[in-house]
Amino acid sequence: MTKMILRRLLVSVLVLFVVSVLIFGATLLLPGDPARAILGQQATPERIAALTEQLGLDRPAWERYFSWLGGILTGDLGFSAATQGPVGELLGGRIAASALLLVVTAVISTPIALALGAWAAVRRGTRTDSGVSGFSLVLAALPEFVIGVLLVVVFATSVFRILPSVTIARPGEPVWARPEQLVLPVLTLALVVVPYVVRMTRATLSETLDAGFVEMARLKGLPERTVLVRHAVPHTIGPVAQVIAMQLAWLAGGVVVVEFLFRYPGIGEALIDAVANRDVQVVQAITLIIAAFYVLVNLAADVAGILADPRIRTASGGVS
Amino acid sequence: MISPTAAPFTRRRLLGGAAGLAAAAFLAGCGGPAAARDAGPPRRGGVLRVGVTGGGASDTLDPHSPATNPDIARTLSLYEPLLHWDDAYTLQPAVAEAVRPDPGARTWTATIRSGITFHDGRPVTPDDVVATFRRITDPDDPKSGASQLGILDDVVVAGDRQVRFVLSEPSPVFDQYLAEYSCGIVPTDFDVERPVGTGAFRFESFAAGQQSAFVRYDGYWRPDQPWVDRLELINFSEDDARINALLSGQVDAIDQVPLSLTEVVGAYESVRLLTSETGGWLPFTMRVDVAPFDDVRVRQALRLIAGRDEMVNQVLSGLGTHASDLYARFDPEYLDPRREQDIERARDLLSAAGKPNLSLELVTSPIQAGAVEAAQVYATQARAAGVEIGLRRVDTSTFFSDQYLQWEFAQSFWNTRNYIPQASQSSMPDAPFNETHWDDAEYQGVIRRARSEVDTTLRAQLVRRAQQIEFDRGGYLIWGYPDRVDAHQAYVGGLVPNRTGLSLSGYEFRKAWVNA
Repeated sequence: MTKMILRRLLVSVLVLFVVSVLIFGATLLLPGDPARAILGQQATPERIAALTEQLGLDRPAWERYFSWLGGILTGDLGFSAATQGPVGELLGGRIAASALLLVVTAVISTPIALALGAWAAVRRGTRTDSGVSGFSLVLAALPEFVIGVLLVVVFATSVFRILPSVTIARPGEPVWARPEQLVLPVLTLALVVVPYVVRMTRATLSETLDAGFVEMARLKGLPERTVLVRHAVPHTIGPVAQVIAMQLAWLAGGVVVVEFLFRYPGIGEALIDAVANRDVQVVQAITLIIAAFYVLVNLAADVAGILADPRIRTASGGVS
Repeated sequence: MISPTAAPFTRRRLLGGAAGLAAAAFLAGCGGPAAARDAGPPRRGGVLRVGVTGGGASDTLDPHSPATNPDIARTLSLYEPLLHWDDAYTLQPAVAEAVRPDPGARTWTATIRSGITFHDGRPVTPDDVVATFRRITDPDDPKSGASQLGILDDVVVAGDRQVRFVLSEPSPVFDQYLAEYSCGIVPTDFDVERPVGTGAFRFESFAAGQQSAFVRYDGYWRPDQPWVDRLELINFSEDDARINALLSGQVDAIDQVPLSLTEVVGAYESVRLLTSETGGWLPFTMRVDVAPFDDVRVRQALRLIAGRDEMVNQVLSGLGTHASDLYARFDPEYLDPRREQDIERARDLLSAAGKPNLSLELVTSPIQAGAVEAAQVYATQARAAGVEIGLRRVDTSTFFSDQYLQWEFAQSFWNTRNYIPQASQSSMPDAPFNETHWDDAEYQGVIRRARSEVDTTLRAQLVRRAQQIEFDRGGYLIWGYPDRVDAHQAYVGGLVPNRTGLSLSGYEFRKAWVNA
């Protein structure tokens, strides 16, 4: 088992390395150059030349790649062309803000989604089931942008004017200083994430409830509650953990859209700004952070799946 | 690393947002928000929160290098130039109580307003003014204001309250350059980390790409102003978020309501629209030095293809004015010619030029609201004359990349300027932004003479002659002057239409009050 986890870990590191090459290559392909983009229409050739040299854009690409990679391994994310300061400084508060959005969303939506999914599975074929399933299907079909706009219309601008529609923080003020501003972004993300987890939980649990060993437990006369908790649920942990991980990983990317819509000062908003500014170092740092998060949660899901699977758990390692 | 469910940003997505707004207006019509509180007479106190379009991590407080709208709004709050353009686009004294040419207009003398002080309480001295212009035109690090001050040879102290500007050639319109917002006066020891000017507001805090805050400067020289105690400027990169913030009451005013959404936003009873005629223009740029635009008949044909009223209606939702390939509509000598769509004549001209089936590529980009739409409408109109126009859409950064000024057929936008200052920016071979590569010997002669002609009548004749030449053979296709539409809560007063092309009364928030 340890060997399996180690192998997964190694694969993750390799994936991240490949991703870093891809990110660096992709940012090289961005049309336009950072010096021009930063100086805008007012750029003069002298100012562009000075900035290009200052940003090290005159060095060969491979050299820039390795110094970038080396920097990241030592915790130095590079130098932002737009702010003329370290990327870490620019992103610090924004990572915290995005992480807050993510964690609050995950903490709220995961238990609700699991409960709803299990409820629908246990009451398969009833009106509850079709209600929950149907509603989650509709929600799953709506992109987060539409959900966000609808929530704003209903709760902020038109029907009720009870919630703020955008996040506005005074300089130096953290986003959680005004918690009411978090409501709509969190709700939007939660409404996007919940349906998938509900559907997956329902499907997996339904399958397990039909399995032979559950039938056997029932026939032995165990109470339904015990059958569910002791026998059925452990079998669903692996697949459901995968879905939750996928959703968490998706959230890391999905916040880009939601932050844009709600003017939330997280990494998503910074990414859009950085792309527009051709602030390559910031684009690279943010994409790598999102990729690392993606890899990490998937790794965690795999480990959870391995630990939860009785066949693997009981075998003495080495079995695939 | 965005999952497949997160589609990339596209026009469709933004339209989705617009659709949401339309739904919002509908619902608002049903429910009806509470009756609006009116601004009433001017009153002291309160906070004004303003949503401003654009900006990002490269935002700056540098008075002499503002690049984005939020930069300009901050610049105009903190600093003031010697002169300034008022709402009617006429020159008014600001830090200087007078700026006068000496006979011959080879030198100009500015007299500093008595009693005017910087935010730290120190009086403005001639040394400060000299230091300011040295900073702007520093040869090692010229600021964006420098491009207009090419003829400025030297600035010297000329008395207790006087500064003399020495020019390399006579310039009867030099005072117009001194009124640009990028020429704000700062103290000799200016440091951008400690931004000090003579503006109505003192600096409090600044977070690039996010928000900046300012407080009333009690020593401000204009009586009563500013009315509000505190000013907060909030960056918005996205139209929907900005409008939502206004509708939900999180901000008191926003700039630049997209012209297609003015009706929707105006439907809110608690909101007032502020519509300004401006001298801003959104031209197509044809490079006169490359084929087929090197043939004046082709340029004229392309100009005749444009259905200008239709473009104003479709692109600007009717919020704008027909233009006929000339800029500087507020210049006292503006010719105001009229060129209408004439497809037949355009076809004839193209045949005469040997290009009956012309096929062109137009580079477009969302450099300003309406730019891409203008390109689309124009391409449709061109088809009627047998001209096939393929659109190549690039993002703004790419548009202003090293290819900017090299595009053969593209677009641009400019704010209000009078004719000679604008020509010096964009129509002369030595202009920093000669997008059309316009290089006409007769035109240059006329402009050079006009620039240094002290006799007002003669200069007026020359300016009109220059406009006639550009109308006859220039490289710009100017189809309209877009209006600027801003919006604010009904309880905000003092913001009035402004011709400069800058939003919200020229971003002069000293004029605004809130009845809160």
